Amino acid sequence: MKVEIPEELQEILEEFLVEAEEILENLDQDLVDLESNPEDKELLNKIFRGMHTLKGGAGFLNLTPVVEIAHRIEDIFNKLRNDEMTLTPEIMDVILEGIDKLKEALQMLKESQELPDMEEIEELLSRLDAVLKGESPASQEGEKEKSISPKEEGEVEFVEGISDKLKELILKYPDKDLAGILEEIILMPPDKRPMDVIPEIEKLIEEGKDVKDLIKKKEPEPQKEEEREEKSEKEKEQKTTAVPASSTSGSKSKTASKKAEKKSSETIRVDVERVENLMNLVGEIVLDRNRILRVTQDVEKECRTEAVEKLVEAVTSLDRTVSDLQVAVMKLRMQPIKKIFSKFPRLVRDLARKLNKKVQLIIEGEDTELDRSILDKLEDPLIHLVRNALDHGIEPPEERIARGKPEVGTIRLFAYHEGDHIVVGIQDDGRGIDPEKVKRKAIEKGLITPEQAAQMSDKEAYELIFLPGFSTADKVSDVSGRGVGMDVVASTIHSLRGSIEIDSELGKGTTILLKLPLTVAIIRTLMLGCNGQVYAVPLHSVVEIVRYQEDQVKDVGSFRSFMLRDEVLPLFSLNELLEVPDNNEKAFVVIVKVGEKLIAVSIEKLFGEEEIVIKSLGELLSDIPGIAGATIAGDGRVVLILDLNSLLSDYRTKLIGVKK
Amino acid sequence: MSEENKEKELSVLGVEELIGEVHEKEIQVIAFRLNEELVGVPIEQIIEITNNRDLTPVPKAPSFVIGVMNLRGKIVPVINLKEHLKIPYEIPEDIYQRNKIVILETPKGEVGVIVDEIVGSVKFPESDILPEPIGTVGIDVKFISGVVQLDRELLILLNVESIFNQEE
Repeated sequence: MKVEIPEELQEILEEFLVEAEEILENLDQDLVDLESNPEDKELLNKIFRGMHTLKGGAGFLNLTPVVEIAHRIEDIFNKLRNDEMTLTPEIMDVILEGIDKLKEALQMLKESQELPDMEEIEELLSRLDAVLKGESPASQEGEKEKSISPKEEGEVEFVEGISDKLKELILKYPDKDLAGILEEIILMPPDKRPMDVIPEIEKLIEEGKDVKDLIKKKEPEPQKEEEREEKSEKEKEQKTTAVPASSTSGSKSKTASKKAEKKSSETIRVDVERVENLMNLVGEIVLDRNRILRVTQDVEKECRTEAVEKLVEAVTSLDRTVSDLQVAVMKLRMQPIKKIFSKFPRLVRDLARKLNKKVQLIIEGEDTELDRSILDKLEDPLIHLVRNALDHGIEPPEERIARGKPEVGTIRLFAYHEGDHIVVGIQDDGRGIDPEKVKRKAIEKGLITPEQAAQMSDKEAYELIFLPGFSTADKVSDVSGRGVGMDVVASTIHSLRGSIEIDSELGKGTTILLKLPLTVAIIRTLMLGCNGQVYAVPLHSVVEIVRYQEDQVKDVGSFRSFMLRDEVLPLFSLNELLEVPDNNEKAFVVIVKVGEKLIAVSIEKLFGEEEIVIKSLGELLSDIPGIAGATIAGDGRVVLILDLNSLLSDYRTKLIGVKK
Repeated sequence: MSEENKEKELSVLGVEELIGEVHEKEIQVIAFRLNEELVGVPIEQIIEITNNRDLTPVPKAPSFVIGVMNLRGKIVPVINLKEHLKIPYEIPEDIYQRNKIVILETPKGEVGVIVDEIVGSVKFPESDILPEPIGTVGIDVKFISGVVQLDRELLILLNVESIFNQEE
């Protein structure tokens, strides 16, 4: 039976196959454990869930034979776990057979997009049904054999050159070998004895052939114990070899046609560790390239010969290739955000029901790709933000109607590329954030003073919700937790070197944008000099760089300020942030964005931009505030990567008015 | 090989090797000086000895951290072992230029320690290790796994695990 999977479901099919394979793989072990421990409820539940998942996936893809088998096995386990049935070895046999058939079907599906025909599994299904009805499969066996034999006729195909009479005989005595058939003939009444077949059989026996050699394709008969063992062993063997996407699996199954080879080479599953390793090696190459580039520049300055020119040429080409390599390896780690977005429809539906709200979820840009390590960490923050939107944002239907809004609220979950960033956003058309309410709450909790609140812009007020221990809901619900979430969201996003933007309009809704880097391992940085040392600052936090001019610096209150065009920005010197000696020789001012606020940081030297690989400082120095890691510069020295966000956070809390 | 031949100065890791008596189970340590004390660390826990001069200071790090260095592409912190062991120390002006660094394998990864002088490799039978005499050396006993009486002086064996597992 050929299976037609539409193009748009291909990906789901592939995912289903991977998942199904995992389920069945675990099942083998679980069933083995179950045999020795048939009362284990946890195990029964696990198997039941596995089958349920398999059935669900197959149902979605319309893989009827798989659904039929999985459905029955699921039912059997449902009865088993509810103590409506006890597991006997006979029942186990039938279950195992069903599972073997499932494996076979999935293998066929994978290799040639085919599934066993319904007729082919009918007999198995009826036996599974019998188990379900509580009939012992053993008694069924005898009956079935009788009922099955006439049907077999259409399914048995013989090799060429066999007389019709012999075919009839083989079908008539399915359990006999040639010698047995010969005996049967001899026992027949003489008038019915097909004399002409005897020499044929004798000849075949002489040739060393037997019934099985005459049959091309035959419905698997009720298997004998060893036969099945052999088969499942074969299957296991096949599975292990099939995993690295080689086409060796073709040898066993007739269905593994040439098409299969083409198919299986399209995707391979690779251990994440290997990709990780590759990524590290590329990181090393990037560092070496930086070093070679620098040395080449020096050589070029010192002497200009033909050989040097050629060297420069080669290095330039190397430079390009390394950049391409870097992008290529980076792409290996990229996965569509669909992986996590796909969990939200269900989540939103369940939550909406629980909260008695009406919500529709719109998902956009689910094909946007993100680095796997970022993706993994993004799930929890996103779940939190969506919950918040539902819980605090979207109003109950009556309230919405009263406000003249559509009864059904909308939450939009979207992702898109923006420059070298990925933006992931959540938008709701709910009640929006009330900055005054946020401020009141913050004052109430002693986080800010009323004077500070008065000076705050709306955007700064929204920032307050990311402070630890802040909760805007009047009552704490079990949906959004207890206000321990938003600060965790913020710190997770910051740890990924991303930023959060909140935009909200009272009564209209809230939009939260998460800006995330494409990758985590390699970043573009600005190289700065301070107190004789070089530091790297990730470019994503730098807004602009201007020359330091004495007359633009003003002393306002307890902080110094820097006049940037019409704006007055708080000014810090990098030396003071790093707590190193300062001799006040400033050359540039770097404007950085910390939260919603721009802050000026004066520096002594500026060396330009460089692409660097982040390395950890090791366990001993893992939590030094303001140091995000280190890299190795072109000259082999270690350069520290500064995290201005956390360097400024002490000051930031003072700036936005948070009492320590 | 006669005993005399062994007495010959062998060069291991570019430093002199002082050979003690050879017996059943041998312990080999790299001996170095911290102030006047002769201390040793089992050779299995030593990754290398370097005189890398490119240390990058780490602002805001604990004071015993002198800096970080590049050890074949890996970033390794270098610490002032004297401060860590709470024995008297002065940081010379030219600390970033004039030092020998011993890279140790510790529970917290590779860590470099600055020493005053590398003395060499010392071998002795395991049975020569004596329990630490309390209070006779300037180093807290919890950082010491034993002492060995050499011909001329006392060698203090450092317990790398306990030094780097202490809660800061």
